[in-house]
Amino acid sequence: MTLLIFITIPLIASIVSLLIKKKTQILNFIAIAASAVELIATAKIILSVAEQGSYSLNGLFSVDYLGAILIMVVSFVGFLASWYSVGYLKTEVAKEIIGFRRVRQYFVLLHLFLLAMFFAIITTNPILMWVAIEATTLSTAFLISFYNKPSAMEAAWKYLIINSVGLLLAFFGTLLFLSPELNFGHHGLIDWHSILLNAKNFDPFVIKIAFIFILIGYGTKVGFVPMHTWRPDAYSKAPIPVVALLSGSLLNVAFLAILRFKSITDLSVGKEFSQNLLISFGIVSIMVAAFSIFSQKNYKRLLAYSSIEHAGIMALGFGFGGAGVFAAILHMIYHSLAKSLLFLSAGNIFLKYSSTKIYNVRGLISALPVTSVIFVIGFLAITGVPPFGIFLTEFSILSAGVSAHPAITIIALSGLVLVFVGFLKQIASMVFGIKDENISKGEAGIWTTAPIIIIAVILIAASFYIPSFVKILINGAVSIY
Amino acid sequence: MITNFEQPLFFFETLMFLSVIFMHLSKKSSSVIYLYAAQSLFVTILLLSSFIKDLSFALLLVVVVIFGIKVVIAPYFFLGLIKRHQLKFSSSSYLNGPTALIVLAIITAITYSHLFKPLAVLSPDNENALLLAIAMMFISIFLMINRKGVLSQMIGILSLENGIVSFAFFAGLEQSPVLELGILFDILVWIIIASVFASMIYKQFGSLDVTAMKHLKEE
Repeated sequence: MTLLIFITIPLIASIVSLLIKKKTQILNFIAIAASAVELIATAKIILSVAEQGSYSLNGLFSVDYLGAILIMVVSFVGFLASWYSVGYLKTEVAKEIIGFRRVRQYFVLLHLFLLAMFFAIITTNPILMWVAIEATTLSTAFLISFYNKPSAMEAAWKYLIINSVGLLLAFFGTLLFLSPELNFGHHGLIDWHSILLNAKNFDPFVIKIAFIFILIGYGTKVGFVPMHTWRPDAYSKAPIPVVALLSGSLLNVAFLAILRFKSITDLSVGKEFSQNLLISFGIVSIMVAAFSIFSQKNYKRLLAYSSIEHAGIMALGFGFGGAGVFAAILHMIYHSLAKSLLFLSAGNIFLKYSSTKIYNVRGLISALPVTSVIFVIGFLAITGVPPFGIFLTEFSILSAGVSAHPAITIIALSGLVLVFVGFLKQIASMVFGIKDENISKGEAGIWTTAPIIIIAVILIAASFYIPSFVKILINGAVSIY
Repeated sequence: MITNFEQPLFFFETLMFLSVIFMHLSKKSSSVIYLYAAQSLFVTILLLSSFIKDLSFALLLVVVVIFGIKVVIAPYFFLGLIKRHQLKFSSSSYLNGPTALIVLAIITAITYSHLFKPLAVLSPDNENALLLAIAMMFISIFLMINRKGVLSQMIGILSLENGIVSFAFFAGLEQSPVLELGILFDILVWIIIASVFASMIYKQFGSLDVTAMKHLKEE
């Protein structure tokens, strides 16, 4: 029954938020309470899955090892994003950028966004998973166009068109995967388990074509190059807490869809086919992101390209296989923590400087001492500087690939070095230098500072110590994917 | 799928394919809408033939919803949009007519090449129809890329969806409730998007031409 919490709580929170009139405090309370309940339910689910291997409800919903990891990530980032949203929106209301109706719209859509992501993870049916991921497009499109400006509308439209085409291609791929079951007269709600059982009987050519469509379709949502073009625009226009969720959670959910189909493909035609495709998308994504980071003028877009790079690194890990899979799954967790840390810190920077342009942000260390330190921690973590966990995962992924794919590994390594140099150049110019006299000194408040401190503490702690239940979940997931 | 009526049903698939070709050649926004309505009507007929054979009431529901929304409501809404914003002509595209036709020919040739031909294993009796449906899907995507109008992009997505449904029909997958669920959800999503975003875009840009969207280029 705990699984129902992930559907009912965000749904109820969304409906109740819609009915609230004039009281922003109630909207804030609902957001924090709902995400806290989801976080508590997550604890029960991950402990059950770590003990029993899965947690199911009526065959319609089920959480496996990787599902438990993703629920943990989504609910944790969701909780902190909801908490942060309270302070972020309060400041925007105080600046008269938005009014009560916008705040209400924001929270209604935020709950629906979380609902769709939870549903995508826990459903046992591939089409329902597709429906849920399509639902994330709808809710986030309105969040990207939230500020109702021409540039925000443009970003939202680009996001809608590119993702809709991608998801329709993913739908086509899903149909091809389901075709053997459907042709054998199985017209019920087909689950992942029954497709896996019949994987060896599939026509190899159909499965290969189907996986290509899946990889391009859901890869659009993940942000693989060349389907990534929506990502920098959407990230630069959406409210910061939403961007933290887009990068820290939705990317992983879309990746889960790819991995579920990958496991079927691997059983049918062997691992080499899907691995080669993932390696190709991975290396191209890393290199394009690495070169793009150098030329960025907007720090939200800079972080967007970093997400593309990390999607590429994860793809490389799954593509290399072996120890790379363990590292890729751990990388998902570290990336979600580091990227939500960076985006929420970027939110504080935006609230202070009222600009997302890098050249407008100078003297961060004196204007926002706490945020700037955390922002630098985030930068060191995301670029894989030791002793942060991402160093370990990137090192493991590259080690896994060096014997079978030495050229790819060297190119990827040079890409990571480029990213570090590019990032360092941009971040140094923001943190140091002399701040404008008009910029006051001091943090915005506890609502926007406490969440990033919590993430920073957890990120540092997780770099040195991985709890045993997380190891069990990752090892369990490695055995499947 | 009804096997006794393969020829007439293939004829409808051909008409669907031609409709998306004519969408590329059409100079008027309203013509694109009428072509889409006709294309959706052919999809409805395909699914109706399946209902007549198997009497699946879930399928009947899909037929009714598709007819109501895609053949009647969506075209009516789009025509209203054209009238409200006086979008009589929308010939602007990135490639001119002859070049676009060459691209369409290449797309169709690729679809019929060894790249996609083995997909006919899903329903060997309907090989041509299946490949035509895939060609229709790719040509719909090309419509979205080549045309500059928001309206054409919307129609391109909906046409892509029609292509997928017709493929599913000829592959014998149309009876599946999961397919029906996916189709209904996609229709719902695009009705919301079309009704809200088209007006919002016009309000912001004073046009439904995507070339007016230049605000992100500065970044």
